[in-house]
Amino acid sequence: MDQNRQGARASYIALAIFVALWVLMPSAVRRLNREAFAEFQAPALHLLGKSRDMATFWEKKSRSTEEMAAAGRDLARINAALEIKLNAMDDVRRENIRLREITRYVVPAEYMSVVARVATRDSSSWWQRIVIRKGRNDGIRPGAPVVFGNNVVGRVTAVHLTTSEVDLVTSPGFRCTAYLEGDDQNRIALVNGVASNSLGTAKARVSVIPHDYTPPAGQPARVFTTGMGGVFPSRLLLGYLDGGTYSTQVGNFKESLLIPSRDLYNLQEVSVLVPLHPNPGEALMQGDQFQ
Amino acid sequence: MTAGWAWLILALATYPWLIGADLASDVFASSSLTIFISGVCLIAPSRRLRRWQSVLFAACLGFLFEARRPVPDGIVALALVAAAIFLSSNRPLLRNTPGMLRAAAVVNILACLCWYLGAAFVAPVAAVEPASQVTLQLLVAGLAGVIILLPIALTQNAVMDRLGVPPAPETP
Repeated sequence: MDQNRQGARASYIALAIFVALWVLMPSAVRRLNREAFAEFQAPALHLLGKSRDMATFWEKKSRSTEEMAAAGRDLARINAALEIKLNAMDDVRRENIRLREITRYVVPAEYMSVVARVATRDSSSWWQRIVIRKGRNDGIRPGAPVVFGNNVVGRVTAVHLTTSEVDLVTSPGFRCTAYLEGDDQNRIALVNGVASNSLGTAKARVSVIPHDYTPPAGQPARVFTTGMGGVFPSRLLLGYLDGGTYSTQVGNFKESLLIPSRDLYNLQEVSVLVPLHPNPGEALMQGDQFQ
Repeated sequence: MTAGWAWLILALATYPWLIGADLASDVFASSSLTIFISGVCLIAPSRRLRRWQSVLFAACLGFLFEARRPVPDGIVALALVAAAIFLSSNRPLLRNTPGMLRAAAVVNILACLCWYLGAAFVAPVAAVEPASQVTLQLLVAGLAGVIILLPIALTQNAVMDRLGVPPAPETP
């Protein structure tokens, strides 16, 4: 019994020494350790995502021929409508290029789009994240914006070999600048995630809303990215203002909550917009991947 | 040789349960709840493994949880290692099923509290209603500890039997 007690005491002392060493250890060692455990889990996450895809596949395969025919017919109609829009867009694009040439406008950062399937979602009060099944091997870099169509989903925070972690718009670590619909002067507001209330829907906060701003009547005001800072392209939809704005404690500005433009926890697939030319913010992100 | 590596094989055998917890967290993602079971997975091995094996097993569990989450490095792993040292030094506490259930709930709640506070420490914003959030998360951790202990312990005991780890003494 005494031997057991002595052994326990020695173990506690060893643990205390290890904790001290762990704190003093260079952060590269801790990051390597974290990376090793993250890579160990990557195959399981891939398997998880692929099994989910397979379940969806068999669920769809079990549908009747009539249902599939109806879906095909609907898709054909949508395609026809989109084709008309596409032609109109082509004209706009040509006009845009012509005007840029006239004004010698600096072309904003260009992006390479990488489509990725969602492996898992993970959220608590302190983080709202998804893990996607594309990583460093596919050219994804930390800090890259993640979108679904025209909607902002979040931003890549950590990249592993075959998986990446994405902080959602509602995650406390997320920040970006925004324009509000109905504000003709295009004044800049700030969007940042908030520590969400458990069992409640995760929302972000829109702050620094000008005092004289009035949202458009009859519909929730849309919130767009500004394109400043070089992370997100401009005019992507971040979400909608939730209800009325309210005054902050300072009194100079108003605040409101932001409802994400899509249900972020039901996404199956997202696009990662990887900047073709690395921006200065990426270096900072790489130095602090876990945040 | 196998007995020496029992902790590693046991960690691999326990991993599907951790993936299962991640899957459950995925389901509950819209309610901002994480299903945490790393503390529960420590209980059955602490009855049978040697102390150093238990410590390595606990560290593995902790690092696996931390790897993909924004919590300070080592906080869960070190908390679980401390719990492993305590449990393997006080095996009479795990003598019967009620004792194990109690230990599962307590260890899981304390480890959960560690990562919650650690994440709060590095989070760039303040909590909205911290007391209710932490209470709910700890409640979920405690419930998960009680509900999931028996199936996990059965799996782990079966693996330890196959590996030839000596059974837990009746009167430790």
